[in-house]
Amino acid sequence: MHWAEIALAALKASGVDTLVYVPDIILHEILRRAETDSAVRLVPMPREEDGVGVVCGLYLGGRRAALLMQNSGLGNAANALASLAVPYEIPLLMLISQRGGLGEWNPVQVPMQLAARPLFDSLGIPHYTVTAPDDLDRVIRGAAKLAYDTGRGVAVILDSRLTGGNRG
Amino acid sequence: MIDRQAANRVVAARLTHELVVTGLGNATFDLFQAGDRARNFYTWGSMGVAVSVGLGLALARPDDRVLVLEGDGAVLMGLSGLVSVGRFAPPNLAVIIWDNQRLGLTGGQESATAVNADLAAVVRDLGWAWSERVETLEAFRATLDRALTQPGPSLVVARVGQQAGSARPPRRPAALTYRFRRAIGSLAPEEQMAWE
Repeated sequence: MHWAEIALAALKASGVDTLVYVPDIILHEILRRAETDSAVRLVPMPREEDGVGVVCGLYLGGRRAALLMQNSGLGNAANALASLAVPYEIPLLMLISQRGGLGEWNPVQVPMQLAARPLFDSLGIPHYTVTAPDDLDRVIRGAAKLAYDTGRGVAVILDSRLTGGNRG
Repeated sequence: MIDRQAANRVVAARLTHELVVTGLGNATFDLFQAGDRARNFYTWGSMGVAVSVGLGLALARPDDRVLVLEGDGAVLMGLSGLVSVGRFAPPNLAVIIWDNQRLGLTGGQESATAVNADLAAVVRDLGWAWSERVETLEAFRATLDRALTQPGPSLVVARVGQQAGSARPPRRPAALTYRFRRAIGSLAPEEQMAWE
């Protein structure tokens, strides 16, 4: 099974019915499968911190949404993570596609890849990196349970070893 | 020009079952002072994101009217949120901007609404149902009524003065989340607890 099929199935099995996302070529593998799935609503966003806000609003209204974005845009979300999701104890399940790791060709993708985990660590947001498809279902389901049962942001980082990255 | 405390009292008196999100700073402080209620969700930070929170809430609760109260400075910081509201166009969403043309809590610096930014005009080109700019309390009262009853998304830009309130909501963000979700019936079974 393609990793994106596993990811989408694990999200749905965790009760996630809405994918809020900033477009990305790696995440497109999940998004294009979700487009034909009537059980999933797609909500594209122009900017990552808006996505944090929309997921928080959906949660306040009783829905489970996941936020999908590239690690390169994580900095755009930092203020909303730090001053909304974290202190308000809003479960924020994030799927982060990795650029700037193994096989990267674009030098400007590397610094934020290196900053992503320290940023999550410093905000108290647990993060789990998946490198192989056979671990993906377990990690996404576990991350969703951790987020919703304990009221936290949780990030699943989709390593380029899993996704193939962006070959340019 | 509208007295912003008086306008917030008009809002508080008019609210019944609406779900309200307030932006950081005076938008939060003023509504709390005018009339606290469990269906108010006050943000203490995340400047520029309150409109997006309101959008998510409006998408989650299509049968409820959602009202966002926000300042001009914060809306200018998160202008992309206005774009997304127009894109999804939830008819149950209304936004009020308290436009004092200043960054009130950072020293009163002039904002772009004092110079070039006409936010009521902007959203008309973004697919919002309607918008209106009001400069008197009487006009505000009538337009608020329209925003809470007519299909949106709608934007009311209320030109207000600099009257800052002194009250502050409880400094317990997680409790505000719980109270709001409990009030609107969105708690999961495992979150339920006896209250008083």
